[in-house]
Amino acid sequence: MAGALVVTLILSAVTAILSVLLATFIAIAAIFPNRVVRFCARSYVDIFRSIPLLVLLIFVYYVLGTWAKDVGLNSFWLAVIALTLNEAAYLSETYRGGLLAISQAQRDAGMSLGLPWHAIMRHIVIPQAVLPATPSTLNAVIGIVKDSSLASLITVGEVTLIANNIVYATFKPLQVYLALGVVYAAVVIPLTVVSHAIERRVPSAHDFLGELSQSGPMTIARKSP
Amino acid sequence: MTVETTVSYLLGGLVLTLQVAAGAWAVAVVFGLILALGRETKAPGTRWPILVTVTAMRSAPQLVVLYIFYFGLSSVGINLSPLVAAVLALGITEAAYDSEYFRAGLLTVPQAQRDAAQSIGLSQFATFRLITLPQAIPYVFPPLLNSFVGLLKAATLASAVGVDEILYRGQNLFQITGQVNEIVLIVMAIYVIFTIPLTKAIAIYERHLRARVMA
Repeated sequence: MAGALVVTLILSAVTAILSVLLATFIAIAAIFPNRVVRFCARSYVDIFRSIPLLVLLIFVYYVLGTWAKDVGLNSFWLAVIALTLNEAAYLSETYRGGLLAISQAQRDAGMSLGLPWHAIMRHIVIPQAVLPATPSTLNAVIGIVKDSSLASLITVGEVTLIANNIVYATFKPLQVYLALGVVYAAVVIPLTVVSHAIERRVPSAHDFLGELSQSGPMTIARKSP
Repeated sequence: MTVETTVSYLLGGLVLTLQVAAGAWAVAVVFGLILALGRETKAPGTRWPILVTVTAMRSAPQLVVLYIFYFGLSSVGINLSPLVAAVLALGITEAAYDSEYFRAGLLTVPQAQRDAAQSIGLSQFATFRLITLPQAIPYVFPPLLNSFVGLLKAATLASAVGVDEILYRGQNLFQITGQVNEIVLIVMAIYVIFTIPLTKAIAIYERHLRARVMA
């Protein structure tokens, strides 16, 4: 079980890092001056948010499966690909909101100084958007840890798959799956505590968004569709 | 097998997808509201049990909760059908989030209004039913609709316990025909075609509701 938990943690960590990178890239593309780039980013987000994660996992597993064998990727990496494609679509929306929350006045000031768009992004917008984005990033990590359980359905040897094997061997599904729930809680709850602690210390992205702030703190670990 | 028969067979699974999603949505709304109210009440001894329940529900993966309801409970003699197990598992995990939507929505109603209602002699329940809830609904309804769309997608997990929904039918088909790529692509297309317009419509409805509340 301990070895399988390590697989879950590595799967989640790799997915989290790749998701943050891809989401940042998509979020910037979504507010890019060029309309075609914006449309592509928008379409990516719309399409990947509408496909259920399990369907995407199965798609990647079968469709990329033969190609993956040739290049030496196992089902672990196929799970990383599917999870990343899915999570980045949700996370990029949060990041886009965070980038847009940096006031237009600051961007206008940058333009009036003659800074090009990429310099405004790099020196003015992104540095200020990073800190407010940390709680929602942690919430996304929590979601990734939980969603990684689906990787068991495409034969990745993480905790849920090992729990299934233990159930086949012992015929004690209630005890085993309850224990499995406790294992996930042991990973997720500390992350939740850290996320809440950071949320209290840094200005949340929602503080900048007048219309959202009046409906109270809404950054909860969840992917809104 | 022609594309038309494949699509119509897969779309037949939509019936169970909708049943799972609608059932889970109802469970989540009722349970979520109870949890939200439970966290507001000042009754002693309610705060911790509810906090523990919400934390537990939010930290367990839906698939694991589904296994507990379907395989776990049947081992102690409680045999739920796959459909009922999926409805309960998805409903209960969703309820943790719904309770936050209710809480956030209820918090938008100023305390002064509740005090005023009490001072004119309304009971606590009457205050909730006549004053707080009606004003909170514009804030709560759109996220609840979004949670339904989320449940439509989460309903695919029910295939893991044998509910005959879209993905389950897809897996049946590609075991028979071997045409995996085509069938999974059709399943994805069905989800894209159904959920994108639904999400957009909810976003428009939400803007409309908010505009009316602000006015």
